[in-house]
Amino acid sequence: MKDTLHTDAQQRVHPAAAMYAREHTEGKLSRREFLTRATALGLTATAAYGLIGAAAPAAKAQEAVMGGTLRMQMIIKAQRDPRTWDWSEHANACRGWLEYLVDYQRDGTLKPVLMESWEASDDATSYTLHLRQGVTWNNGDPFTAADVAHNIARWCDTTVEGNSMATRMGALVEDGQLREGGVEIVDDHTIVLNLNTPDIALIVSMADYPSVILHPSFDGDDVIAEPIGTGPYLPVSYEPGIGAVVERNADHTWWNEGNGAYLDRIEFVDLGTDPAAWIAAAEAGEIDLNYQAQGDIIDIFEAVGFPRSEAVTAATIAVRFNQDSEPYNNKDVRKALQMAVSNAIVLELGYNDLGTVAENHHVCPIHPEYAELPALTVDGAAAAAAIAEAGLADFEFELISVDEPWQSETCDAVAAQIRDAGINIKRTILPGATFWNDWTKYPFSATEWNMRPLGVQIMNLAYKSGVPWNEAAFSNEEFDTLLDQANGIVDADARREVMQRLEEIMQEEGVLIQPYWRSLFRNAAENVHGAEMHPTFVVDYVHYWKS
Amino acid sequence: MLLFLARRIGLMLITALCLTFIVFALTNMPAKLTTLAKTQAGGRLTDAEVQSWIVENGYGGPLLTRYGEWLGVLPGWVREENGEVVRGRCVDLYDDVEAAGDRCGLLQGEWGYSTRFQGEVDSLLGARLGATGVLMLWVLIVMVPMALIVGVLAGMREGSRTDRALSTFAIASTATPEYVSGVLFIALLASSTVGISPLLAEWGWIEGRVLFQGNARSAMDDITLSNFTLPVLTVALYGMGYVARITRASMTEVMTQQYIRTARLKGVSFPKIVLQHALRNALIAPFTVIMLQIPWLLNGVVITEVLFSYPGFGWTLYEAAINNDIELLLASSVVAVVVVLVTQLISDIGYVYLNPRIRIS
Repeated sequence: MKDTLHTDAQQRVHPAAAMYAREHTEGKLSRREFLTRATALGLTATAAYGLIGAAAPAAKAQEAVMGGTLRMQMIIKAQRDPRTWDWSEHANACRGWLEYLVDYQRDGTLKPVLMESWEASDDATSYTLHLRQGVTWNNGDPFTAADVAHNIARWCDTTVEGNSMATRMGALVEDGQLREGGVEIVDDHTIVLNLNTPDIALIVSMADYPSVILHPSFDGDDVIAEPIGTGPYLPVSYEPGIGAVVERNADHTWWNEGNGAYLDRIEFVDLGTDPAAWIAAAEAGEIDLNYQAQGDIIDIFEAVGFPRSEAVTAATIAVRFNQDSEPYNNKDVRKALQMAVSNAIVLELGYNDLGTVAENHHVCPIHPEYAELPALTVDGAAAAAAIAEAGLADFEFELISVDEPWQSETCDAVAAQIRDAGINIKRTILPGATFWNDWTKYPFSATEWNMRPLGVQIMNLAYKSGVPWNEAAFSNEEFDTLLDQANGIVDADARREVMQRLEEIMQEEGVLIQPYWRSLFRNAAENVHGAEMHPTFVVDYVHYWKS
Repeated sequence: MLLFLARRIGLMLITALCLTFIVFALTNMPAKLTTLAKTQAGGRLTDAEVQSWIVENGYGGPLLTRYGEWLGVLPGWVREENGEVVRGRCVDLYDDVEAAGDRCGLLQGEWGYSTRFQGEVDSLLGARLGATGVLMLWVLIVMVPMALIVGVLAGMREGSRTDRALSTFAIASTATPEYVSGVLFIALLASSTVGISPLLAEWGWIEGRVLFQGNARSAMDDITLSNFTLPVLTVALYGMGYVARITRASMTEVMTQQYIRTARLKGVSFPKIVLQHALRNALIAPFTVIMLQIPWLLNGVVITEVLFSYPGFGWTLYEAAINNDIELLLASSVVAVVVVLVTQLISDIGYVYLNPRIRIS
């Protein structure tokens, strides 16, 4: 039974995937988009490359060298239950022993890790997961379907404060818990997920950083004290604010022995948030690479001998209006402010042109279902007239941002253009500790958003009525209905038609000024390999090596 | 003497009590508790979740009651489920319902739990104070001899060219705050692109890329000349100027004394006069000043440790403050009060022994 299922899974190419391949050859889809979509439907990366007649890129250009200690600058935060993680750094420190069902790769593909393969039903309401055989936990227990079922049930528990996995697994949640019959254990290594609504993003959600697979004995408290996992490393020390040390686990046979775990030891050094301290440490030879560099810091690191690597992403900054607050409950005011701002200028002044211009609807050209809309019009005079018409000619707007340089500079560029149009606006910069207390409440403020692989994912997290992270207080019946519909369309072309309308609604309603998509950068010493910047900040140190 | 000591210690306790209460009240303002909840349980919690977190974790009670819990005069909070204690201040601290007593505060020797660093406050603060102790030790080793030499050289001939030059140096160093001198040092000595390091590296005089490290994190495990010079110099330079000025003033005063003039008239050589006759008397004032200078240096330690990422007491205080780590901040204030008042006590007692004209009453 097990064998037939596997052969089935490998031979059966999802109809939509074949169609994507056709679209790619016709030039409708970029390679990256094709790969994200095809692998989300259960194809292996190699098979997906095969469909479009391309050879999968060789995994390693050079033979990796075993051994060595890597020292990386990264913030070390106090740990807590993984499903409540809200910083990629929480996850990154633990990636050596806690693994995922799938990994999102730099090239936009999904790589199976603790799964061998998966397939979706054509309407995306049912998924079959084939788990990897021969995986053991580092305490000797075998890894089975029951372990995964346990983890999915934990993800779906909405009663836990800050459990963001519950939103991602929304299609499996009923009455605040995992729905009855949501997870079926077919055999020791096969699981079927039955969703209450179609969700095409379910598998990519399982690659998101809070979705690590934990041992059933984990009681929700400390992932460091009892590091039971399936991966090849173990934590040696973990001190928030100071650093963390991870070493290869000599007593555990990793399922993927030989394809990773090259380094003997990884030291994370927490040098705080001041880039000057990172540079001082790099100059002193105390770190081999940084976590992420921004703005001028990228060049300074390059000048001291740390070349950059770039990741093109759908990460962005949302300069959004809160529609529950005066005067932003007036659509005309929102649209007028949008109209006063040229996104290209914001990108240039606020982010040194290190990205691509966006179109105020939070769907990125690298998202599979992105639909192109007519270019935005920028007209300062019309904006000022509309503000005057709304009776706000003397009103002083206030744009709030956190004190992080690139975010405040971006907001400065937005505010400067609004001011140039003749509209009164003042800027307020708050320290991080204060800012995040009310980030969803400010009338007009900017928030950093990390990328999600699919466009619908962002919509579900941030713009669906009533979801916790809906900081724009956006609530639109047509939008919600169409979004639910889009969540169930496996075919990207069909979904794009719905998405086009969703994007239009976003623009028509003037939900936010979303100036640009950020590229992310990391600087690493020349002898560090495999550590290029990742679009979702993944620090997969299991595959880093040093020459 | 005993009465004096008792009074001083009483004063210390009252000061500590007042200060900790102020810190407690400030860190327990509703907005601050919200910050704490968000840093602890997730930056994007909803308001309802924040409220429930605050109550669940024992921050919900009245301010005075919770201050009493921290002191250990009132029993710690407990939360019961089905008649059984599941969580509580003491239960969380000991991680055991049986072993946990009623009260667990300062009086019971419990300093509490650091939310920022996830550990017991006393062991944590002990380690960090140790790190700062090492830094201060080196600061004193560098600062005291330098200050005394500069002060004595400047003060032995008032108004001379040496005096003018050294006094200018002393005033400049004490007028330069740590956040200026530290940054200057890093730019001059610890950068591979500006300052003197690139020159030295080009000439082959230094092996690495920089002369000194602008980051002292590695000094936690292993102190070297390279990683510890700049932080020590930054703190020492600031204190040095002040002590040198006091030494100079004291030295010039001694040099005008009758017995010095007598010695000169007798034909004693100038170096001998300075070393044998003037020096001992001139050092009384600087020694008490050095004691009083220690609390001042602790100020600079906060800036310097943060600048050089050296995890000592100052760095911990800073981290505790920006992360609203209530119990760590309280313990830090107690430490600060004790340091200030103990150094004052030592200098008062020391003064009595150095100068018999003064008596404690």
